[in-house]
Amino acid sequence: MDSRNLIFLVILTIGINVITCERLHEQIYSSIEGGAGCFRRLNGTHQAGCSSSLNGAVGVVHMIQNITDAEWLVYNSSAGPYMAVVSTSLFYDIIELFMQQPDNVAGVLLYDNATTRPDAFSQESRCPNQYSSWSKSQCPATQASSGSKLVWNEKGTNLLRRDIPFPIFFLPQTRITEITKIEQCYNKFNIDKENQKGQALCSLQLNSFMYAAVNSVVCLRRSASSAILTPTKVCDPLGDYNVYYSLFPRAKESETKKKPVTLVTARLDSASLFDGVAPGAASSVVGMVAHIVAAATLAQIIPLADASLYDENVLWTLFNGESFDYIGSQRIAYDIAQGAWPPISPLSPKDINLHIELGQMGGSLKLFKENSSWPLYAFAPYGSVLPEQITAFLVEMVNNLNLNNMTLAPIFTPNLPPSSLHSFRRIFGNITDNDMPEILLVDHNETFSNKFYQSALDDYENVGYMYHNISISSDGKFLSTDELLANGTMKESDAQVKIARVATALARTLYQKVAGKPYNGVVSASAHLIDEMLYCFLRSQACRLLAAADYASSAEETPAERPAPLYVGVAAWASTPAVYAGHLLALLTGTHLSVNRTACDKFDEPGFSYYWLRGWNHSGICIQTTMNFSQAVSPAFDKSDYDMSSGEFSTWTESVWQAMWVRVFVRAGGGGAITAAVAGVLATAAAALVTHWLQRHAALVFLDSPASMHSDASGIIRTVNC
Amino acid sequence: MDLNRMSNTKKLQLCRWYFKVGFVLLPFVWAVNSIWFFREAFIKPPFDEQKQIKKYVIMSGAGALTWAIVLISWAVAFQLQRVSWGATGDALSFIVPLGRA
Repeated sequence: MDSRNLIFLVILTIGINVITCERLHEQIYSSIEGGAGCFRRLNGTHQAGCSSSLNGAVGVVHMIQNITDAEWLVYNSSAGPYMAVVSTSLFYDIIELFMQQPDNVAGVLLYDNATTRPDAFSQESRCPNQYSSWSKSQCPATQASSGSKLVWNEKGTNLLRRDIPFPIFFLPQTRITEITKIEQCYNKFNIDKENQKGQALCSLQLNSFMYAAVNSVVCLRRSASSAILTPTKVCDPLGDYNVYYSLFPRAKESETKKKPVTLVTARLDSASLFDGVAPGAASSVVGMVAHIVAAATLAQIIPLADASLYDENVLWTLFNGESFDYIGSQRIAYDIAQGAWPPISPLSPKDINLHIELGQMGGSLKLFKENSSWPLYAFAPYGSVLPEQITAFLVEMVNNLNLNNMTLAPIFTPNLPPSSLHSFRRIFGNITDNDMPEILLVDHNETFSNKFYQSALDDYENVGYMYHNISISSDGKFLSTDELLANGTMKESDAQVKIARVATALARTLYQKVAGKPYNGVVSASAHLIDEMLYCFLRSQACRLLAAADYASSAEETPAERPAPLYVGVAAWASTPAVYAGHLLALLTGTHLSVNRTACDKFDEPGFSYYWLRGWNHSGICIQTTMNFSQAVSPAFDKSDYDMSSGEFSTWTESVWQAMWVRVFVRAGGGGAITAAVAGVLATAAAALVTHWLQRHAALVFLDSPASMHSDASGIIRTVNC
Repeated sequence: MDLNRMSNTKKLQLCRWYFKVGFVLLPFVWAVNSIWFFREAFIKPPFDEQKQIKKYVIMSGAGALTWAIVLISWAVAFQLQRVSWGATGDALSFIVPLGRA
């Protein structure tokens, strides 16, 4: 074919494509991308969260600039229902109004405006995990001096635990252009507030239809039933994996000669109201990073080869699913009580001579970002009689922190902040007479210093984190905190340095406990390592540490350049944060064996796991580690005869949904539809009249028409009918 | 079939046959029977078999009506009470509704 003809054909084809491909649908609707929807979760007795109707909720856009706008929407608007577009800074002030009077509210589109961040933003309850707390712990607690009620999370709206009658979507600040798009549409069509009725109006449609309803009992029953037409799963139990690692292997310990264990724990997960958004910086990441780094430091101080020299062991554990009635810690406490955890040489409560939890830390880092102090608090549920282990730990820990001008103030009260201590005290309370000594380290006193607890805004900015981006040498050596301070790379006031100080103090205190003598060496936690680790969990999964800790066998594809959401997710899939934390523990604490991959896969010593990870120079490395994973699924879903409404264990499930989307469009005023309907009715009536007239006066109109057709017509029908 | 072309004996046979078939849990056959033969039973001038046809028409009608009452009450009760029956309600449902009680 002539080349000119060919080019003409190609141009013609493209031209036709351009013309025909934009469908009517695309001309009407404009999709809003990047929104995270609020979804439904259920427990043994209630449903919580949001759902739209099956086809999505539709409402007229109303930009909420102040509280008056919200009041107008609820009380005075005429073309309802409305879709409120509101920024995070106003959300707290208006959401209660919408919850109380939801009739005119079709839904809420929440957006994060970087320029006006709120002072507080938390959708968690004011007393988080209140219903699975230890019986002696009070929240709200009556304050002795003033008589007022003290709650941990003062600005909590509790939306995470309430049934919200309309859908809510969240647009992160990276998607602020979508809000501009909506605002333009709003200004063009909806700006005349008083005359909206009957006009074409800019509208939003939010779709987040949830399959499950009522409570976990009902939704699990419906998921299990095999109806013929709807073999649908409507909800899944929440759950994931806990991570644990012991300083020394525990496999060879006999029943008679068991080393007592210090249990050091932290929380792995966080949550938020919205799907795929759970940064949890101060809620969990800082505590978890301090935990992993302290474990790595202690492993450096005490080499594995010296295991036989010590009579005590340290068990480092990261709990998953703690946001939802302590799934992870309830499971481990329950399994310990049943003599089933860890699977290899299980512990009994009396084997644990101290439990230290690194609780919620980081909320006050921003407050103290100008100076080197970071006041910490140790909550211990004791009165006048202190267990000996607690006293010893406090003295040693305070000493070690004071060396770096940091403080730790003990608070002796039965009112414990949300932490795994509640699970252990509840579950062990029934089975042992002797109290397991427990202590909780946090950076808040009577109320949370973190004003963004379990929210979409609890990100790196909330802990004042700035990435320093210092390269790691190919043998995995990190620059020490002292070097970084000396060469001016970091300052005493940096979050990384402060966390390193805490990790060092904890590791040295544990050394003193395990070895029975103070530590005189120079090993300390590296702020460089903390810088990298915070980067992995707060800024981007495509980071140096996670690349080194990944399986060498997995494909060389770089993960997304955003932090992994720390929401526990459903038990059907393992989520990434637990795997990341486990691999980091393995990489940083395990023994590096210089063997090749085949040899590494063949190792099978009891008590150890062998991982073939990518390593610092990405050439592959064989790690021998005691790190392991255990299921973090509530015992409620394992016990066959469990009463879901008893409140003994966590019963949270998550609804299944098919799609979540948001789109904006201009809704017709309704005038056209009414005209069409009226015209249709009139046309039908006119046709009927004309037909009737024609039949009556057929003789006048048609020349040879019979006078009447009635008698003959019935005759015809009779003959046709058999 | 055109009843007008049928002999009265045939009509009676047919009506009786429909009435018997209705006993096999087929209330619609009763309903059809009672409507179809209504004219023969009550409106047509008397003939020999009319009395018996009338009997079958009345009984078929009564049967169909009983069935209708039973089915409608069940449907109403099920729609109103399914949620409060809990597990039984779900087990009795052919299509379990999504996203609500």
